[in-house]
Amino acid sequence: MDTLTSLVLIFIGAALINNFVLHYFVGICPFLGVSRRVDTAFGMGCAVTFVISISGLLNWTVTYFVLRPGAPLPVWVWQAVGGDPAKQIDLSVLSYIIYIFVIASSVQFVEMYVRKFFPHLYRSFGVFLPLITTNCAILFGSLEIMKRLQDPTKLWGLHEALALTLGGGVGFTIAISLMAGIREELDMCDVPKPLKGAGVALIIAGIMAMAFMGFVGVDKGVHGVLSALLK
Amino acid sequence: MSDLSRQRGYLRDAWLVILLALVFGGGLAGVQSVLSDKIAENKRQETYSVIPELVSGADATKTVELLIEGRNGKAARVYKVTASDGTHKGWVLPADGQGFADRVEVLIGLDATLSTITGLYVLEQKETPGLGDYITGETFRSRFRGKPTDGSLTVVKSDPQADNEIRALTGATISSESVAAIVNAALANMKGPMQEHGASPSEDSGLAPTAPEGRGD
Amino acid sequence: MKRDGPTALERFINGVLPENPVYRQLLGMCPTLAVTNGMKPAMTMAAATAFVLICANIIVSLIRGLLKPHLRILVFTLTIATFVTIADRFLAAYMYEMSKQLGPYVPLIIVNCLIISRCEICASKQSLGVAAADAVGMSLGFAAALASIATVREILGSGSWFGISVLPAAWPGWGIMVLPPGAFLTLVLLLGIAEWMSARRRRAPERQSETESECSLHGHAH
Repeated sequence: MDTLTSLVLIFIGAALINNFVLHYFVGICPFLGVSRRVDTAFGMGCAVTFVISISGLLNWTVTYFVLRPGAPLPVWVWQAVGGDPAKQIDLSVLSYIIYIFVIASSVQFVEMYVRKFFPHLYRSFGVFLPLITTNCAILFGSLEIMKRLQDPTKLWGLHEALALTLGGGVGFTIAISLMAGIREELDMCDVPKPLKGAGVALIIAGIMAMAFMGFVGVDKGVHGVLSALLK
Repeated sequence: MSDLSRQRGYLRDAWLVILLALVFGGGLAGVQSVLSDKIAENKRQETYSVIPELVSGADATKTVELLIEGRNGKAARVYKVTASDGTHKGWVLPADGQGFADRVEVLIGLDATLSTITGLYVLEQKETPGLGDYITGETFRSRFRGKPTDGSLTVVKSDPQADNEIRALTGATISSESVAAIVNAALANMKGPMQEHGASPSEDSGLAPTAPEGRGD
Repeated sequence: MKRDGPTALERFINGVLPENPVYRQLLGMCPTLAVTNGMKPAMTMAAATAFVLICANIIVSLIRGLLKPHLRILVFTLTIATFVTIADRFLAAYMYEMSKQLGPYVPLIIVNCLIISRCEICASKQSLGVAAADAVGMSLGFAAALASIATVREILGSGSWFGISVLPAAWPGWGIMVLPPGAFLTLVLLLGIAEWMSARRRRAPERQSETESECSLHGHAH
């Protein structure tokens, strides 16, 4: 049951407490650029959640088996070619290059797959897919997973990695949808000229960041409730 | 365009990418081989440089890194600290958990019998600047020194009355509680196993059966 | 290469002010907001970004004749990711504390739109000198923008600048300025001022007789 509690806490942490957009500032570009209407913003959020989970899955696999210090595959290869078994094998220098390529190619494949098999889905968020490759939130999710796979005594499992990326995606969707809702209302308002567009969006983001700071400490309560429930 | 010539076209297009990948790969391998030892040393130093502060009379160069299985069934890293003459001085136990804003990582210094906390060091935190980040300061950390490990620590807002009470930082009660909770959880998980390990005579050589295999960071 | 692009000097000047990456193009928002709670991390970030941008622009400009249109983004990404890894390793080796503080934002330079947009707009079309000048100009503009935000946030938030106290110890330190909301609000304040000043400067020469150089630069920015 500990596992379930920790998964819920990781999810809530990524979605609300340390919201990817409002706490870590990743994914600001689409957050400002694609938040004029609620339906497109929600579509973008869903697309990001989809891609971040898939790339999180792939990058966890690659990191766990190949890239982390002491990963099984390079050690096996090293010993198969007769290398000194005491030597530490660490391919983490290649991580960033591999992550960005995994993300770029998973975006490509997801786009092709969705266009072929789910035309409805493609019409609703397919147009955002190419934009997602350069969305920092996706790479950030993979980097956070990588950080949790460095210490061999505290390795994250796939379920934890998925909870983090899914939470990050949901958090992004919440933030961008709220933002779009507020901006739709703002269309009717008289905003000072120098602050039109990005300026006023950033003010809203600042206020939202303050509001999201209120989630800090929620995990303690959730932890208490869950441990009482699961006992 | 026929299939064959198209394939040839792809190959011709891709040679640049392949060449670049090889050149960059070589460059990265060079950078890695030059810098990796220094980076590993930095990571090691981060912990080892504070060991003398956590356990008095310790010689950081004599410290042995061990993997001991905790109550939760997972192996955790601990440092067995010895003085320069080889006498066992105490332990350093790394621990982490959720703080007020983000994860907090601490090192807990313990005496040789694991009965008293001899020091606390905060390795990593992102608590509120100006409030919660004072957990890294000596004022707060010294409040843990000399506390017994047999009961769990509680955080109070006034001067401590009982032995196991820690005074919270003003305006940062949750950060203070988080640190105390991290210490409590780590001790609850590791104290028993560490005591068993310390009692077994085989560990004096520093080569415990659970020692990490050729890992040094 | 067929058309004559802007010269090296124009590119350089453009990057610093008229096309400032942060204030005019809203590029590279992640580091702009995330690492500007102090001057030290902000300037380290600016230096790392400058290193990657200059190296990537030079490499891309050198191989621009060999680039195939459908593979160019792949080549850009490969180049950028390599130099980011090098910068990251150097930080971890020689500035370990800073590298820990910057954390994931160093690798996130890979997806900083500023770099890939300079590779695409300038380096893949123009000669080495122009590309290098463009990269240096853009880097300076980016550094100036980060410095301006970090100055406001660090002085108001912690009463210091580059870690040196500049305000009296009685200064309470506006905690909010070093926290995420402070980042958004400082940026919007400075963005508003920049917009307002450029709007004023745009209007001024229209009223008087048109001064050629000023206007051509401004015309370029829009």
